[in-house]
Amino acid sequence: MLRNTAAIALALATLGGAAAAQTAAQTADLPQAGSGWFTDGKAAIDARLAAQPIVKRAKNVILFIADGMGVGTNFAIRVFDGQQKGMLGEENVLPYEAFPNVALVKTYNINAQTPDSAPTAGAMNTGVKQRFNLINLGENAITKDCATEAGNQLTTFGEIVSGMDKSVGIISTARLTHATPAAVYAKTAYRNWEDAAPEGCMDIASQMAEAMKSGMIDVALGGGRRHFLPESVTDDEGKTGRRKDGKDLVAEITAGGAQYVWNDETAKAAKLDGTPLLGLFESSHMKYEYDRTGEPSLAEMTEMAIKSLSNNENGYYLEIEGGRVDHANHAGNAFRTVTDGVAFAQAVAMADELTDDEDTLIIVTADHEHSIAFNGYCGRGTPITGLCFDVDNEGVKHSDELVTADDGKPYPVIGYLNGPGSILVKQADGSYKGERPDLTQEQAMDPEFLQQALLPKSSESHSAEDVVAWAKGPYAHLLSGTIEQNVIFHVMMHAVTAE
Amino acid sequence: MRPRPIARRRLLAVLAAAAVAPALRARAAEALRMRDLYEKDLSFSALARELEGSRVEVSGFMAPPLKAQSRFFVLTKRPMAVCPFCESEAEWPDDILAVFADRVVDVIPFNVPIVGSGVLRLGGHTDPETGFVSRVRLERASVARA
Repeated sequence: MLRNTAAIALALATLGGAAAAQTAAQTADLPQAGSGWFTDGKAAIDARLAAQPIVKRAKNVILFIADGMGVGTNFAIRVFDGQQKGMLGEENVLPYEAFPNVALVKTYNINAQTPDSAPTAGAMNTGVKQRFNLINLGENAITKDCATEAGNQLTTFGEIVSGMDKSVGIISTARLTHATPAAVYAKTAYRNWEDAAPEGCMDIASQMAEAMKSGMIDVALGGGRRHFLPESVTDDEGKTGRRKDGKDLVAEITAGGAQYVWNDETAKAAKLDGTPLLGLFESSHMKYEYDRTGEPSLAEMTEMAIKSLSNNENGYYLEIEGGRVDHANHAGNAFRTVTDGVAFAQAVAMADELTDDEDTLIIVTADHEHSIAFNGYCGRGTPITGLCFDVDNEGVKHSDELVTADDGKPYPVIGYLNGPGSILVKQADGSYKGERPDLTQEQAMDPEFLQQALLPKSSESHSAEDVVAWAKGPYAHLLSGTIEQNVIFHVMMHAVTAE
Repeated sequence: MRPRPIARRRLLAVLAAAAVAPALRARAAEALRMRDLYEKDLSFSALARELEGSRVEVSGFMAPPLKAQSRFFVLTKRPMAVCPFCESEAEWPDDILAVFADRVVDVIPFNVPIVGSGVLRLGGHTDPETGFVSRVRLERASVARA
């Protein structure tokens, strides 16, 4: 039997070798055969042919979510990251873009074409699509209706794997009570019930405290300190809590044996020996990466969490959110969108470095896209946060001429369909009128610049466009094709339960 | 016909604004920015300390006013978008400038660039009228579109 198998393998290898030799012979004489594009393209296929799916049960699962990073936003991050590294930019490969498995993900909610972050993260954490603004409740629950929580509460992936004696961690640069991290542990009829809820329902911070005290969550690092502290308490950074019920949830969590850290220095001193760890680094959201001071980076938090959770020999589930890619898009400020996106990519690289593909499934995705779009026709290497440079017909890099629209003015590469950067401005009579400003490249590349937008809206909106899921590790090959967002849960479930 | 002093004053103000507008536009490029006053850790810059008590011009945006007919507004470095999916309430950025004008301020849309001119004051202050807490202020200020 063994001999037969070996013989078949040899035959296949010979056949494969023969086919490869035939292909090489057929392409060697092509005029383009010596081009780097050609040989790189061929190498990509060779890598695909050599790739083998990992069909072992996953010990660990890491789910990365860059909030608001659809295909378009990811393109901007890729180019910006490349340009920061001295490349033209377009050719850059972000750490997760090198993962062998990719799917396109449909993000709509049960009752919304344009999704919000609560039901999208909930779909990934429970395996079913959910309703707009709700977290981890079934399809019969109603927005802000506390009475509909009972009987509609779903079970999360975190709860399931906690029952398998795995550890669970959450990280976010947004508040830990915000939609995406909350989807690991909370069930609520309204995502904004962060520190108070109608009688009969529990606010999100209290649910997180319960999850930490019960041992369901072992590591929680992010922002949102105010939702865990009463109004009467001033935190280490001089800001007051928001809780009206007088509860000090930080004290409750630490009384249960968890460590508490609140800035970069205390974080560095934290024990990563498996002792439960709570880090609340800001009163509200953590700072944008560009403005960050006194707080750990997303990559540093990722390192802390993986080192701490790895003490459990049964493995762990860790959800890591780059929460403010979304916020910068909402603000219409592409610069902070891409700088937070690069910080997210660095966190993925950190997780990849600290884990083994053989036992850790890593999925990198987003919850939804934004109404971001890209103008053309720009030359190679055009700064992605700046104005569109023209194509150079003789060279590779863009010319130094700015491309102009029919109004004779240059325009940024990135635009938003709506948002605060709208060229239509409210007039004294209440009407909206406007004209595009005549920008210089320096003005457009300023970190405070808002990309030009069409519809006037105080906050730029999400869009329903697809996002990507990249994956590596056990059963990562199950992520392929165009999938519903809730399928991600089923990939994770299969990976941790496979025989 | 009775004179209409308020309307007339407004007209004069508009004329005056029109006359100074080109000069202000030119000045906008030279006006200080929020990042000139704050360090990254939100401590005051050497320039801010040097200019304390002097009349300065700072460019930015007018946050939606806290109350109507006010002499007070908040200058922000970027238009203050109010994001229903990021926030359950108004979130003030840490690096802002409170502006106390001599006269009731005409509201300018939140995403129109402006230049505030006034006497720079540093240090914690709570506005008795609105309860707004600020660390940096422009006093005896005026404001114009950039």
